[in-house]
Amino acid sequence: MKNSPRFWTQPRPYWMAAAVFVVLCIVNAALQPTFLRFGVATSNIAAFLPMSLVAVGQTYVVLASDIDLSAGAIVSLVNVAVVSIIDGMGGSGASVALGLAVGLAAGLICGVVNGLCVAFLRFQPIVTTFATGIVFAGFALWILPQAGRQVPPAFYNAYAGTGLGVPTVIWILVAAIAFATVVARSRFYRALRATGGNMQAAYQTGVPVARVRLGAYTISGLFSALAGLALVGETASGDPLIGGALTLASVTAVVLGGTALSGCVGGVAGSILGAFILGLINNVIFFAQLPFEWQGLIQGLIILAALAGGVVMARGR
Amino acid sequence: MARLPALFKRPLAIAVAAIVVLLAAGELLSPGFASPRQIVTLLTIAALLGVVAAGQNLVILGGREGIDLSVGGVLSFGAFLAGNLMHQQDAYLAQALVLVLGATFLIGLITGLGVTLLRIPPLVMTLGMLGVVQGGLVLLTRGVPSGRAAPMLSRIVSEPVLFGLPGILFIWVMVGVVVTLVLRRTTFGLNVYAIGSNETAAALAGVPVRRTRALLFALSGLFSGITGILLLGYTEYVFVGAGDQYMLPSIIAVVIGGTSLAGGSGGYVGTMAGAIVLVLLQSILTTLSIPPFGRQVVFGTTLLVLMLLYGRQRRLRG
Amino acid sequence: MPVLEASGVRKQFGGVVALAGAEFALDAGEVHALIGSNGCGKSTLCKIIAGSAAADAGRLLLDGRPVSFPGPRQAAEAGIGVYYQELSLIPQMTVAENIYLGREPRTRAGMVDRDALRAMSLRALEQFGAVLGSGVQPESRVADLSADQAQLVEILKVLAANPRIIIFDEATAALDRHQVDAVFQRIRALKTQGRSMIFITHRMDEVLEIADRVTVMRNGATVLTRPTTETTRDILVTAMVGETAAAERRNRHHAPSETVALEADSLTSSKLNSVSFQLHCGEILGLGGLHGQGQSELLRALFGALPLRDGSIRVDGKPLDPKGPRAVMRHSIAYVAGDRARYGVMAIRPIFENLVIALLARRRRWTVARERLQSEISPFIERLKLKFSSLQASVSELSGGNQQKVVLGRWLATRPSVLLLDDPTKGIDIQTKEDLYATMDELCSQGVAILLHSSDDEELLAVADRVLVFNGGQIVAELRGEERTRFALYQAAYAAGRPVA
Repeated sequence: MKNSPRFWTQPRPYWMAAAVFVVLCIVNAALQPTFLRFGVATSNIAAFLPMSLVAVGQTYVVLASDIDLSAGAIVSLVNVAVVSIIDGMGGSGASVALGLAVGLAAGLICGVVNGLCVAFLRFQPIVTTFATGIVFAGFALWILPQAGRQVPPAFYNAYAGTGLGVPTVIWILVAAIAFATVVARSRFYRALRATGGNMQAAYQTGVPVARVRLGAYTISGLFSALAGLALVGETASGDPLIGGALTLASVTAVVLGGTALSGCVGGVAGSILGAFILGLINNVIFFAQLPFEWQGLIQGLIILAALAGGVVMARGR
Repeated sequence: MARLPALFKRPLAIAVAAIVVLLAAGELLSPGFASPRQIVTLLTIAALLGVVAAGQNLVILGGREGIDLSVGGVLSFGAFLAGNLMHQQDAYLAQALVLVLGATFLIGLITGLGVTLLRIPPLVMTLGMLGVVQGGLVLLTRGVPSGRAAPMLSRIVSEPVLFGLPGILFIWVMVGVVVTLVLRRTTFGLNVYAIGSNETAAALAGVPVRRTRALLFALSGLFSGITGILLLGYTEYVFVGAGDQYMLPSIIAVVIGGTSLAGGSGGYVGTMAGAIVLVLLQSILTTLSIPPFGRQVVFGTTLLVLMLLYGRQRRLRG
Repeated sequence: MPVLEASGVRKQFGGVVALAGAEFALDAGEVHALIGSNGCGKSTLCKIIAGSAAADAGRLLLDGRPVSFPGPRQAAEAGIGVYYQELSLIPQMTVAENIYLGREPRTRAGMVDRDALRAMSLRALEQFGAVLGSGVQPESRVADLSADQAQLVEILKVLAANPRIIIFDEATAALDRHQVDAVFQRIRALKTQGRSMIFITHRMDEVLEIADRVTVMRNGATVLTRPTTETTRDILVTAMVGETAAAERRNRHHAPSETVALEADSLTSSKLNSVSFQLHCGEILGLGGLHGQGQSELLRALFGALPLRDGSIRVDGKPLDPKGPRAVMRHSIAYVAGDRARYGVMAIRPIFENLVIALLARRRRWTVARERLQSEISPFIERLKLKFSSLQASVSELSGGNQQKVVLGRWLATRPSVLLLDDPTKGIDIQTKEDLYATMDELCSQGVAILLHSSDDEELLAVADRVLVFNGGQIVAELRGEERTRFALYQAAYAAGRPVA
């Protein structure tokens, strides 16, 4: 009789993503000799961070067999809201605090709206979050019709800087991973996976399915808000369209990471790897110095292949 | 949940009512809105959306979370390819049509094979294909749009054919008739409804599930290609990203028309009405000089209201 | 005072009356069987007790106090546990995760205590020990378990919540004799702890063995409640049906011919072990034995819905390669699947489409000529005595029995020469069953060959000309003529010892 099989004896959905990630790192290092230097690595992480955060939030929703197609719009909305508040109030410390608070609150509210529509009103997730995304993006345009405004240097320096010798962006990433690790040990996480695995069965078992789905959307809204904040730090200004491509990219990252769109299978680790993979593909294509007109197609083909791989991996044995 | 009056359960009736209401409102807000000429223009735009929505409709009917996010890209691709094959020459029109329809059908077929053979979810597969098609388009255009419609094409599409109505409207009606006939009167059509309502039962009844579903995606590509050609005829020049704005509205039109997102029920006539409703709505918002953000908010909210009426899923408790 | 009482409970689903004033009382520490034919309302009554459905009228009393449950969670909090026939397990999650879903032990920090979870799961699995079969660990994925193992895990899950009232809805369906014994042992232990159980089963011998009292329901109302010691099988069946139903051999108008319609030779698959037999024209060949011994798998394999590793099949003398349903259909073979809701009926489509879909697949015609098709299928509609409001009405409006008739009609329209029936009368009311037997008889008299699997031994022995008894994926006996008795059936079913799990 075997001893309790632990971590290593069960194939994990994100192993393929991890393998692809390693391969891409090698390729990237080959094409860009400075790749492994601390400064370059940090700036890569900074570039990949917003997408990673959105992917993390998306993971929870997908595990419950739902989807959040408004994620990018929430990013835009929070981005312009925060910048408008900070800039509008003169860039003082208080304005930054207020801006951050409002930004996070906005993300939570958007998430709750999504959750109420999908979980309690029982709207179909794909079209519904498309719709809320349109509305959120509309509000973003209303708040800041054109990209612009700015935040004080202290803000973006803090983002680009370090705390205790470790770059801020790495702190944020670590915090996200820590959050995910803690949540993964909770009853909520199991309830979430059960909801995604077989919603009817979960309901009959007494799992508060609607509340769990609402929780997932709220987390997604929160992480989209964090991504919006990160982008403020990154670009030092606001842009109502900044989140545009992030929605579908986050879904791509989640699938690449081995999380099944049907729910229950997968996790945050894979999604972060997936986001990094997407970023590295971009890098590789750039550094390979392929002719400009070929880049889009090659990238598309690689992503399509990776998506297929992710789906197959999530399917399991 | 409150029991809706029976009327609300007939999406087509609501869509038609909405058309009437929107026309009246538009006329009130801006006299001349409902003039014959205006209506024809609106219908033309609706026709373009309607043909794309036909493909989307088919894919959604097939069930299994069928959706096609690549329609915009394939549309742009079709328009560009057509323009560059025609070189503004009538002589090349026929071969351009054949090649473009063949190419877009093939693209859709590849998508369909990815969904049926590799069992990649449609959301993911069409998303991936969109990237590939857009990348391919950049490769072909090198970022510079080129190509022009053959004069005959522009004539067929834009110029009045009968009763002063442009050819495109008749083409749309023909598409409507063909699609509806196929769905109701052919084995393929019944198979589509079968796999959309209960795929396992359909398979056990001898329905060729994979072949049918792959064909649905291929047809979606085809309809996107047709729309690209029609758009080319309408605008004469090829514009970059011409098709991007069609993806979301095509889905909305299908939903307005009463086709269930779960598959297995609904039809194209509703989608045609849905396309008209959408175009009317867009037009009214423009007429009211509502800024882009307002339009977005209205659209999104309209969709949510539609979800409230038709998009609700079953309770878990009986 | 009864620990649970339902009185005057009414429930309607659309136009269909499921419960018309049902009465039920459960005493403390008793096992109370609830039986009745399909549509009698027993499942609906249990759903209301379990909080999965809401009654339209009537009272539910718990310890004498009126209660009403807005959802399953509240019923669970009140101490009611339910074993669901469809199982409430999450396939991609592990056994341990499933058993303690929502009840996971926590560390002081509020996180799930995985070591405690594992220990508790091991203790739970020990309750069934050997009958669970090898390889079932807390870390096993439920999706990898067999049907009987999954059922036992579901039972463990229900018991893990320590409910004081337990509803068992067909909890023994996929279990073999030893597993049923183990479950009954557990139930008796629970009785001594003062827990009360409602036991729903289609097997009369289980009722008489384990239950203290039995309640019979019919047409949404309670007809009879008796201690099992004071009643007999015949009384119960009469109460269920409303008239005397004698379990006698059916009158037959057909006689099997010598011609072999289908011949199978050494069919082997993951669940089949070198199965060989001959099916004659005009014959009803029964597949019997304990449930889950390969009967359903054989039918699916013959229809191309399950892969075969080895063996050959000949139809009408010609070889058949069962690549898939479409290939098999070309040989005039038809298959009616066991779970009609999942594999048979296209619920949101009209009756017309449900009826012609196989015919169109067979025909390989492109167009659908509605009038002609309608006249083509109408003789079958008549024959099956199918009742409906209109061909365009949605098939979901029909009762379960009529839906089954639609599925059968779909296949009869293809004029098959071989008909594979997998438990066609499961969950069907008695009248419809009679209609189906008559249809089968008529088909056989026209030379159709029928391969029939039924989970109802009495039905199988009454209807089939010969019975092949399955055990562990093998045919261990063939019963013909006077050999067709339940005694002989069970004797053969157990001949090889404990069935392979």
